[in-house]
Amino acid sequence: MAEKLDKHVLKNGMVLLGEPMEGVESAAFGFMLPGGASRLPEGCSGAANVVLDWIFRGAGDKNSRQLSDALDGIGLHRGSSVNSAHVTVGGVLEAGNLGEALDLHGDIIRQPRLEQEQFEPARQLAIDGVLALEDDPRQKVTLILREQFYPTPLGRSAVGNVEDLKALTPETTRRIIQDGFNLSDTIFAVAGKYEFDSIVRQFEDSFETEPQETLGAIKFGLRDDRYTHISNEGAQVHIGIMTGTVTVGDDDYYNARVAISVLSGGMSARLFTEVREKRGLCYAIGARYHTLKEAAGIMCYAGTTPEKAQETLDVITAEFNRLSEGISEDEIERAKVGLKSALILQSESSSSRAGGIASDYHLLGRVRSLDEIKTRIEETTVDSVLVFLRDNRFEDFTVVTIGPKEVKVK
Amino acid sequence: MEFKSKILENGLAVIGEVNKSAKSAAVGFFVKTGSRDESEQINGVSHFLEHMLFKGTEKLGPIEVNEAFDRTGAQFNAFTSEENTVYYAAVLPEYLIEVTRLWIELMRPALRDDDFNLEKNVIKEEIAMYKDLPSFDVMDRCRKLHFEGHPCSKSVLGSEQSIDGMTAEQMRSYFCSRYSPNNMVVGCAGNFDWEQICSAIEAACGQWSKQDADRKLEHFGGSKKKERVEKANMALEHICLMSAGVPAQDPRRFAASLLAMIIGDDVGSRFFWELVDKALAEAATMQFGAMDGTGVFCSYILCGSDNVSKVLEVVAKVFKDIEESGITQEELTKAKNKLLSEVVIKNELPMGRLIDLGFNWTYLREYRPVGQDVEDIKSVTGEQVNSLIEQFKPGDFTQLSTGPARQE
Repeated sequence: MAEKLDKHVLKNGMVLLGEPMEGVESAAFGFMLPGGASRLPEGCSGAANVVLDWIFRGAGDKNSRQLSDALDGIGLHRGSSVNSAHVTVGGVLEAGNLGEALDLHGDIIRQPRLEQEQFEPARQLAIDGVLALEDDPRQKVTLILREQFYPTPLGRSAVGNVEDLKALTPETTRRIIQDGFNLSDTIFAVAGKYEFDSIVRQFEDSFETEPQETLGAIKFGLRDDRYTHISNEGAQVHIGIMTGTVTVGDDDYYNARVAISVLSGGMSARLFTEVREKRGLCYAIGARYHTLKEAAGIMCYAGTTPEKAQETLDVITAEFNRLSEGISEDEIERAKVGLKSALILQSESSSSRAGGIASDYHLLGRVRSLDEIKTRIEETTVDSVLVFLRDNRFEDFTVVTIGPKEVKVK
Repeated sequence: MEFKSKILENGLAVIGEVNKSAKSAAVGFFVKTGSRDESEQINGVSHFLEHMLFKGTEKLGPIEVNEAFDRTGAQFNAFTSEENTVYYAAVLPEYLIEVTRLWIELMRPALRDDDFNLEKNVIKEEIAMYKDLPSFDVMDRCRKLHFEGHPCSKSVLGSEQSIDGMTAEQMRSYFCSRYSPNNMVVGCAGNFDWEQICSAIEAACGQWSKQDADRKLEHFGGSKKKERVEKANMALEHICLMSAGVPAQDPRRFAASLLAMIIGDDVGSRFFWELVDKALAEAATMQFGAMDGTGVFCSYILCGSDNVSKVLEVVAKVFKDIEESGITQEELTKAKNKLLSEVVIKNELPMGRLIDLGFNWTYLREYRPVGQDVEDIKSVTGEQVNSLIEQFKPGDFTQLSTGPARQE
C-alpha cells in the first residue's frame, strides 16, 4: 500500500496534489475553491449554489451551450458540490481527455462569463432547490441538524433560504465569486491515470497569478437550539441526533472512529442491533462521523412511524451513553477490520482518492498515506477507546425532528 | 482478465472474471425472482424474503449472521427489483472465501416465525419511509399505472395490507419455488482464486434440489393512462412518464440507453436545455430500463406547481420534435462519450463489474467483456436510434403526477 503522492505548489500558493493509481483508465479531479457556505456574507445563504450554476453558463470563448457540449464531448461525469468550507468543481473521465477537461475548468474558474441574462435561471433553480427540500424530509433533517449543531456559520446549509435567494443580485454574486475563488487558497487534486509534470506545466500557464491575500480562519459564534421540531404530515418522524467529538487532527481521532464503528459500523454494530434487529423500530438507522476543520460530530439518523419515535430516540441515546461502560474485544476487532477494509475498497476508486487527498490537505495540511491510517487504526485497543470515551462523555445531544409528532429530549 | 464458468448439474451457474491486479474481490448471488413473480396476495414477498435471508439458518441466528459478515470487513447488502433479488459483498481478497461460504449458508434460510413477525415491523417502516420520498413514490405509482394488467405492475415493497396479511408459511413456499439452483447465478469479480471458490460453491450448492421456476414473458406497450394524486404535505409537482422500450435480451438496448441520454441526461440533453437550463423544472431526466422480455423509458420531472402546464407543453414538444426529425449526429456522439466513460469507470471496481457480469448471465447466458460493450456502444448508428423512436414512440406515454392540492 505504499502509494505515491505528487505535490506541487504554484507561486500564488495554489496547491496541486496527485495520487497515481495502477490498473485504471480513469482520472478524477477536483478544484476545492474556498467559497463554501460558511464563507458567504450574511444574508446571502444559498448563493454558492447560484455561483455553481452560473459559472457553467459560459466561460472563456464558449457560451453556455458550447461549454456544456465541450464537457459532454469528452465524456466528463461532472461532480460539483458546495459544503461548509468549499465550492468544489471537477469530475471523472477517461484519462485521455484529462488535459482538455482541465483547460475547460481553467476557463470556468478564471473566466466565467457571468452573463446578466443567465443569472435569473441560475437563481431560480437555487430557489427550487430550497423548495425541493420540503419534499425530502430525510435530507432536510440532516441539513438542519448540522446548522443547529455547529457554531454559526460553520453548519450553514448550502441550500440556503428563499428570502436570501430572492434578494440576491448579480452584482453581489459576482463579488462572492471574486472573493471566493481565491487561487492562493485553492487545492487541486487528481487521482488515477495522469502525468503530473504535464499538469504542472498546464497549470503554470492557466492558474499562475499574483498571490492573493488568503482568507484566514472562519470566525464563528454560538450554537443554536438543542431541540428543533418541524411539523409535517408525513408518514414518519425523521429524527436527527448529533453530538460532539474530536476532529481529524486530534490524537484521539482513531479512537473516536473505532468507537463510532462499534456504535454503527456494520450490521452487527450496536445501533442496528438494538434499534432494528431486536426491536424492529426502524428501517433506516445509522450514525457516522462528520468533520469540518474547526469542529466535528457524530451524526445519527433514524426514520420511524410516529408512535415509535420516542422509544427510538430513547434507545439511541441510551446506546450512546452505554458505550463508555464497556466494549468487548470482538466488537473492537470487527470495528477495526471494517474500517481498514473500507479504506482499501475506497482506494480502488479514482474519485474517492481525489476527494480523500484534497480533504486531508484541507483538514491537516498534509496527506496521510493509507499505511499510516491502517497502522493508527491497528494501534487502537479496547482500553484506548474506553479511556477516550470516559474522557469525552456524550453529554449534549442536538436533536431535530421532522414529522407529525414531537419527541421529548431529556 | 480471465473468464471462468461452470454450470452445475442442478443448473446453478457459477461464473467469475479474475483480475489479479485488483485490490478487492466481490461475490454476488443473483436470484431471478422479484415482484413480477408474486401473486397479488403475497405482494412484497420477494423483498421481505431478501430481509429474511439475513435472519440466518437452522445453525445461525440473526445476530450471529451480522457478526460473521462484519468479521470479514465486507461491504455487503442486497436489493430486490421487479425481477431480480441480488445479494452481494465486496471484501479484501483474503476474505472472499469466508464471505462466499456465509452467503451459501444463508441461501438456505430457516425463515423462523419469530424473526418473520419482528421483521414485518421493519418492512412496514421501509414502506412508510418511501411514502415520505415523493421522487420514489411517484415512480412506484407510475409503474403500477403503466404496467396495468401486466405482472410488472406489482410494487416491490408491497403494501401495508399485503405485508400484514402474509404468513411465514406462504413465504417458505415462495422460497422453495423460486430459490431453485437453476434460477440462480453465483458470480465473482476481482482478485480471487477461481478453483478455490468454484469448488467451495460446487461442494455446498451441488446438492440443492432443482424446481421448475419459470416466468412467462410478454411484451407490454403500457396503459398510457394519465393520473394525478394530491398530497397535503407536498411542495412541488413530481411527474413520472413511462413508455415501452426494448427488452434486456435485445441488442438494441444500447441504442435505447443512448436515446434516453439524448432526451434526458441530467446535463446537456434536450430536457436539460428546454426545461432545466431555463429553470422551468428543477430536474428533468430520462432513463432506459431494460427488463426481462420488456423494457421501459422512464422520465422524472420535478417542478413548481405554477409551471406544470408549461412544462408538459415543452415535454410534448420535445417528443414531437424528436419523433418528426430524429436525433442529430452531434447528440449521438456526445451521448456515446458519456455512456462510454460511465461504462468504463463503473467496471473499474470489482463491485461494479460484478453487477454487469451477473446480469449479463441472468438475461443473456453470455459473458461480455467490458470491451465488447464498448464496441457495441460505439457502433450504434443514428438510424438505429431513429428507428427505435419510430417503433416505440416515447411521446406516447403513461403519466402519473403527485403534488399539492391545486388552487382553483
